[in-house]
Amino acid sequence: MHRVQENITIEDLKQGSDLLFKRIYEDNRDKFINFARKYHLPQEDVIDVYQDAYIIFYNNVMQGKIEEFTSSISTYLFSIGKYLIFDKMKKNNKTINPDFDLSLIREKEELVDSNLDLDQGELTTEQVLLKKYFGTLGKKCQELLTLFYYRGYSIKDIIEASEYTSENVVKSAKSRCMKTLKERINSNQ
Amino acid sequence: MNNQDLLYHYFSNSLTAEQEALFQNLLETDPDFKAQFKLEEDLQKAIKSTHTDRLKKKLQGFENQLDKPKTTIFNHRNLAIAASIALLIGWFGYNTLFNTNYNSLYDTNFSAYPNTVYTITRSDDAKSIEREAFVAYETKNYQIAIEKFDAIPKEAKENYINFYKAQAFLGLNNSEEAKNLFAQVVQENQGFEAESTWYLALIAVKAQDKDLAKTYLEDLITNYTYNKDKAEKLLKELK
Repeated sequence: MHRVQENITIEDLKQGSDLLFKRIYEDNRDKFINFARKYHLPQEDVIDVYQDAYIIFYNNVMQGKIEEFTSSISTYLFSIGKYLIFDKMKKNNKTINPDFDLSLIREKEELVDSNLDLDQGELTTEQVLLKKYFGTLGKKCQELLTLFYYRGYSIKDIIEASEYTSENVVKSAKSRCMKTLKERINSNQ
Repeated sequence: MNNQDLLYHYFSNSLTAEQEALFQNLLETDPDFKAQFKLEEDLQKAIKSTHTDRLKKKLQGFENQLDKPKTTIFNHRNLAIAASIALLIGWFGYNTLFNTNYNSLYDTNFSAYPNTVYTITRSDDAKSIEREAFVAYETKNYQIAIEKFDAIPKEAKENYINFYKAQAFLGLNNSEEAKNLFAQVVQENQGFEAESTWYLALIAVKAQDKDLAKTYLEDLITNYTYNKDKAEKLLKELK
């Protein structure tokens, strides 16, 4: 199992294999729990933070924000996890000890990769509506818009990765999806 | 380049410096452009949030599996009992199977599972037996693939090997060997259980064992999300 983990590349992860997604989660889980022990959080919270850190890491990979691994996957998870733990503590007004200045630690520069997007997705009213009606679109539209906006694919990338045959076909399919999305939002306002 | 093209490039992170300047200028001077950009930017966040929710659910599912390893064993035992009963019913209910075209149902639903576990272009261990096995698998040289899968030393054998070996047997129309391996994959519970259950259902369809097929499909629909729509459709067609 560890042999596989050492060889995992960004490209492997980007293929979106569920098995790999699960394996990385399981392989790093105990290490993360051990690492987080010093912060004296309840086990439930540690698991919650671990999951959120893993999702942030995975989203960054899928969105192309991590171009190559500069450290091991566990280093990424610890680094993001630490950021989230300090963020949580700051929100709860807790400190580890009174001499500890949290603001010094939770700066983004402390992260393993300063390009990481740590946004955990608190949505505005408009975004909540878009999310709701995006979920009602057909599978093809959801997939196409996901390639555009989540994966950051160019039109050429989309032609290579899907059944669409030309730039114009992609563009018109996308504008139809956007039109349907807007219509659904407008008719339900 | 029109405004829409500029937005395409923005979201695929491929604006040149010149386009970037034009983009910024439009944002400041053209309210329609700004509104369109805002909409697409909001949609980007909405889609990311959709994916985040899905990922969180998956992880909570993994966590539940870790907490309650006994549940799955229980399910599988139930399945085994149900399968035995289904076999018996299937035997006596043979005549009622008369009107179903099993071969066509099998052909419509069967497609070989793609290699999602091993990247052949990876150069670090290019000479490994596993690589050779997957090259053979991807080029549909199933007999060679099986031989190579078998030649992987035990300590280097990943959990997914049996699943792909079963696929290779299916490719050779050897349902019997495939069936045993898929059943083993489900039993071991180390990944690809849902996929294996789906293929077990298809093998049962091919063998015209309607009740066993239904048992596997119902198990798949209840316990997993993989091919749920297809499974529901196939189940309807079998009823």
